[in-house]
Amino acid sequence: MKRLAAVVALLGIAAASACSSSGNTNKSASGGGSAVYTTIDGTKPGIDPNGPANPFAPKGNSFSGYNAMKLAWAKNHLTDPNQFYPGIAESWEVAPDNSSITIRLQPDNKWSDGKPVTAEDVKLSLAIAYTQGSTAFALQPGAAGAAAEVTVVDDKTVKVTQDMSNPSQTFARGVLDTAVVPAHVWSSVLPADIWDKIKAARGTDAAAEAARTEITELGKKIIAHNPGKDVSAGPYVLERVNPSAALLKKNPNFYNAANVAPDAVQLLNYTGNEQVWNYLKAGKLDSAPFVAVPADTMAQIKQTPGNVVVKGYSPVAVGLAFNQSKKPYDNVHVRRGLAYLINRAEVQKIASPEGGLPAVTTTGIHQKAAAEWLGAELNNLEPYAHDVAKAEAEFKAAGLTKKDGKWTLPDGKPWKVSMHAPAGFSDWLAAQENIKSQLIDNGVDAEVVTTADFPLYQTEMAEGKYDTGFWLIALGPAPYNIFQRIYGSANGWTNIAGKVTHNAPGKNGNWMGSAEEIEVEGLGKVNPGELTAKLNSVGAEEQKDLMLQLAKVANADLPVVQMWDYVNTQFQNHSRFTGFPGDDHDLLRQPHGVWIQLGMIKKKA
Amino acid sequence: MTSVILETSSASLRRNFWRGVWRVMKRKPSRMAGVLILIGFAFMATAGPLFYPDNLPRDVNNTYGPMTWEHPFGTDGQGKDVLAQVVTGSQYVLLSALVTALITVVLGTAIGLFSGFKRGRWDTVLMRLTDMKLTIPGLPLLLVLSTVWKFGSAVEMGLVLGLLNWGTVARAVRSQTLSLRERGFIEAARGLGLSTGHIIGKELLPTMAPYIAMNMLISVTGAVYAQVGLFFLGVLPYEADNWGVMLNLAVFGGGAMTTAAALPYLLAPLLAILLLTLGIVLVVDAMDEIFNPRLREE
Amino acid sequence: MTAFLRRLAGHVARGLAMIFVVATISFFIVRNIPGDPMLALYEKLVTSGMDPAAASQAVRVAYGFYPSGSLWEQYVDYMGGLLRLDLGTSVTNPGAPVTGVLAEASKWTVLPVLAGTLLSFLVGVIMGVYAAVRRSGRLGDILAISGSLLHGVPQYVLALLLGAIFGTTLAILPTDGTADILIEPGFTPEYIGTLIEHATLPVLTYALASYGGWILAMKSSVVTVLGDDFILAAELRGMKRSIVFRYIARNAILPLFTILAISMGLLFAGAVFIERIFNYPGLGLMLIESVTNRDYALMGGAFLLITGATIVANIAADLLYTVIDPRVRSGEEAAA
Repeated sequence: MKRLAAVVALLGIAAASACSSSGNTNKSASGGGSAVYTTIDGTKPGIDPNGPANPFAPKGNSFSGYNAMKLAWAKNHLTDPNQFYPGIAESWEVAPDNSSITIRLQPDNKWSDGKPVTAEDVKLSLAIAYTQGSTAFALQPGAAGAAAEVTVVDDKTVKVTQDMSNPSQTFARGVLDTAVVPAHVWSSVLPADIWDKIKAARGTDAAAEAARTEITELGKKIIAHNPGKDVSAGPYVLERVNPSAALLKKNPNFYNAANVAPDAVQLLNYTGNEQVWNYLKAGKLDSAPFVAVPADTMAQIKQTPGNVVVKGYSPVAVGLAFNQSKKPYDNVHVRRGLAYLINRAEVQKIASPEGGLPAVTTTGIHQKAAAEWLGAELNNLEPYAHDVAKAEAEFKAAGLTKKDGKWTLPDGKPWKVSMHAPAGFSDWLAAQENIKSQLIDNGVDAEVVTTADFPLYQTEMAEGKYDTGFWLIALGPAPYNIFQRIYGSANGWTNIAGKVTHNAPGKNGNWMGSAEEIEVEGLGKVNPGELTAKLNSVGAEEQKDLMLQLAKVANADLPVVQMWDYVNTQFQNHSRFTGFPGDDHDLLRQPHGVWIQLGMIKKKA
Repeated sequence: MTSVILETSSASLRRNFWRGVWRVMKRKPSRMAGVLILIGFAFMATAGPLFYPDNLPRDVNNTYGPMTWEHPFGTDGQGKDVLAQVVTGSQYVLLSALVTALITVVLGTAIGLFSGFKRGRWDTVLMRLTDMKLTIPGLPLLLVLSTVWKFGSAVEMGLVLGLLNWGTVARAVRSQTLSLRERGFIEAARGLGLSTGHIIGKELLPTMAPYIAMNMLISVTGAVYAQVGLFFLGVLPYEADNWGVMLNLAVFGGGAMTTAAALPYLLAPLLAILLLTLGIVLVVDAMDEIFNPRLREE
Repeated sequence: MTAFLRRLAGHVARGLAMIFVVATISFFIVRNIPGDPMLALYEKLVTSGMDPAAASQAVRVAYGFYPSGSLWEQYVDYMGGLLRLDLGTSVTNPGAPVTGVLAEASKWTVLPVLAGTLLSFLVGVIMGVYAAVRRSGRLGDILAISGSLLHGVPQYVLALLLGAIFGTTLAILPTDGTADILIEPGFTPEYIGTLIEHATLPVLTYALASYGGWILAMKSSVVTVLGDDFILAAELRGMKRSIVFRYIARNAILPLFTILAISMGLLFAGAVFIERIFNYPGLGLMLIESVTNRDYALMGGAFLLITGATIVANIAADLLYTVIDPRVRSGEEAAA
């Protein structure tokens, strides 16, 4: 019994110290000497104490913008993919014919261990980029916008030339969007003759194939590599990690360290959105990237002192995509009828009240970008405003018949709109539940079917198992990426080395099954897949024309019904720091560490 | 002659048994309440959905609405009545529970009886198998299974849970059979020339019925909760009007653990589970006493 | 003693056979999972504003981590690795050996669940004795019914209720992991304090959820002992009530130790819901995340560890039973 008493007493002491310690932390977080910036990293699938300080590892503890740096930070401008904020590079110069880019590094930047950041670091990082198969460093022969030559001009200058046999508008973006790691820590991972191997791999013979396999193997090694203690050229360096958070301390060697205000950054882990809501409600986060938030929780978050909600552009939209190999979705009138029948404003209100705008119409482009690309032409497109009478007219034109208040297929069989979504995508599920109710109200039978997880969803979708399902579209800013989602491989067009081929519906991942050539009023017969492929290489004016043509095709033919365009709703708390980017600022699309490293964030006086 | 005596004695035993049941039930009113609760749930699952249309009416201007007379437990994120969903959702829960119960009882009793009756090698093999099933923790196994199995319908769900669940009942039935055997019950009946079928059907099973029922209730409760829990964790495909899905949507979609608006949406299925547990606990309490007279302190 | 050793050897052999069977089952379940683990990340990255090219790059490379060779070769590889306690590397965290990830996660499961179990055992056993002795009174009734109710209610219901009350409404206990990162780890009161603070809700929930079971078990055990002749004899001899009480308690608690041993094995499996709701990064949360991320290596490893622990605990319980119950000790074959 005495022993028991001892245990109880011990527990008591522990509890008391727990209370006192929590008091301490509150104090140190709010006032005191050191300013800690608290946020979350939305791009990591959870913080893992086992993760190495490796920017290429999916669970690595290298956080982009904080202790992981890129050559430059892409702005994701509405229409121009080649605008950046400086990172490891201080400035860059693209040749007028887009054949090369010359990158000048920050003159005074040092790694956290005191060694200077040099052109050799960049060269090694570009070699690593080849092993990771990133866009500008693709090894497939003939890939668009691939780098041909990397030259170290001097200690602080690197020049990268483009393979002009198949150039791409996004070449500069592909190069600058590269993570940079210290050569003196990483050089052991790559063999000395890596550049010879890369050269060999870019050929078309059997030796090239062997070299490619070898480089891909190296890529795996790099992902799994543990470089040991973090060596960072960013504003912060990793201090410690536990399962709930990562703590980053300021890197005094960073080129702009004088303007980096917070002395430390803690990145909190989160298992689900509800945890972020709790942090926000408690006013714990100085900033947070986009998370879906229910309306009432949003109201509560706004009430917390210092909290500010900021909205910006998010280059993505979601649409209901059709499998046109299935009846009756092969009939454009059925697709149009559904577009008229579904009230998109209601769908968005239920599914994504704070993180979306109802699609103005289907263009395949986010409405903000569409206004830039299409200008006044946007208003000439059919808006598909909610209109039951028009929907019924379209259904009748498709040969559907209404029996006892229910629409049936032309052959008299019952029609049920079967919508698919992956489990766990709660906004998509809420949207489909709402669409289902709307359709049933108007005599169209409907159901929502979920797939256990996203990978399975994508696999089954590609196999053509679904009638309709949600699909992300309009992935900006590069115009090719925008239309590649609806007139790319999912719809039959494959683009290898700039050559476009079309697969029959049901073959090679073509589950959308649009016609290869589509007759559009005012345009005649067009091949949207070929138009999309052209977006990669043509000049700005021609791009604009192509974008309009493709928007018209998408609007008339409706391979998807665009539901809502995402809005980048973010959260800031202004009670400890100031200088945050406001509404529609392009920095909202950057990791928040970029705000800090550019020197925007200031301690509140 | 002796056979007649045994017959009549077992008949009167049975009559006494029902009288005993009534006495046990009467002694504590809570036990009656338990029975009423279970009857209520059965009614809710069978007749409840008839009161509501297939597609519940929605009000998009009243999402996560407060508790009112019209919506006693508020509305969900689609503006649909929560109470209606608890009622319609009970169908899935109780239907899968019924299937689980059926499989658990049939498989468990059969294997338990067979094992206890035959003894010897079959007994060893079967009990090893049962041991193994009992050793593998159910929930982790279900989580892993959920990656390959789709658990499409309530019946399929019940089937899987039943197949994972018969172990406890089998074990209990076997040990009862063994103990009845030890008491010479079976030898006596054999001596009277009664067939094995008769011994099992007319003598053993009726005596063991409440015991089996009790074990079944306990293991089925566990299965039901595991099932709701899997939906709550979100590892199973979403299913409209399901208690587990409601919990999941309330917490991970509506923010019930963060702000008050979605709280009724969370509480309604929670209360349903609590009430169902209470009903089962009270009934098991009564069964326990019927079967285990030692607990009956006079 | 030889009987004991023979028994032990038999158990170990059977345990190993079971682990083999479980490993085989889990290997084949896990290799049959459809879909591709890393693709899940892509859409998540893209909606959070990442450049699609960068996202697909992040995702593409991980393809390489797929095992190659026929299913049979993979199986032989897996089993061979198992012998060396090598469970492969995680899919979502390439380069991290599964055993290391499991060890890290187990730490956060075993300690809190152990604390919760012991706490509930202590309180439950004491309450169980009262419930048995006062079983005709109102107090006994309330104890028994509340015990059954707590025992019957699923863990997630308790966890949700406690989380809503202490975590969000009152906001006095954290529900965000294991420790405050700002506090330097070490054997300091601050660090131990933050550890305990973060573990409080999981431990409390676990204790409450298992407490009911202990009450019920202890009550029925005491009731059984109460009927035994030696108690009657002691009472007839006019022994002091407190001594009789001690007799009862000591004899009634013995069978509970075997249950305790078994529940130690369930330590690893017991906390799936609690860890998810309180975001506590133990084995249970890891299992859920490996299921949702389709990280088959972690999933298989976690499942094997959980099952292995249960098997070991069952063996321990059986041996403990041998030590406690003299009838079994004498070598007589117990009813299996």
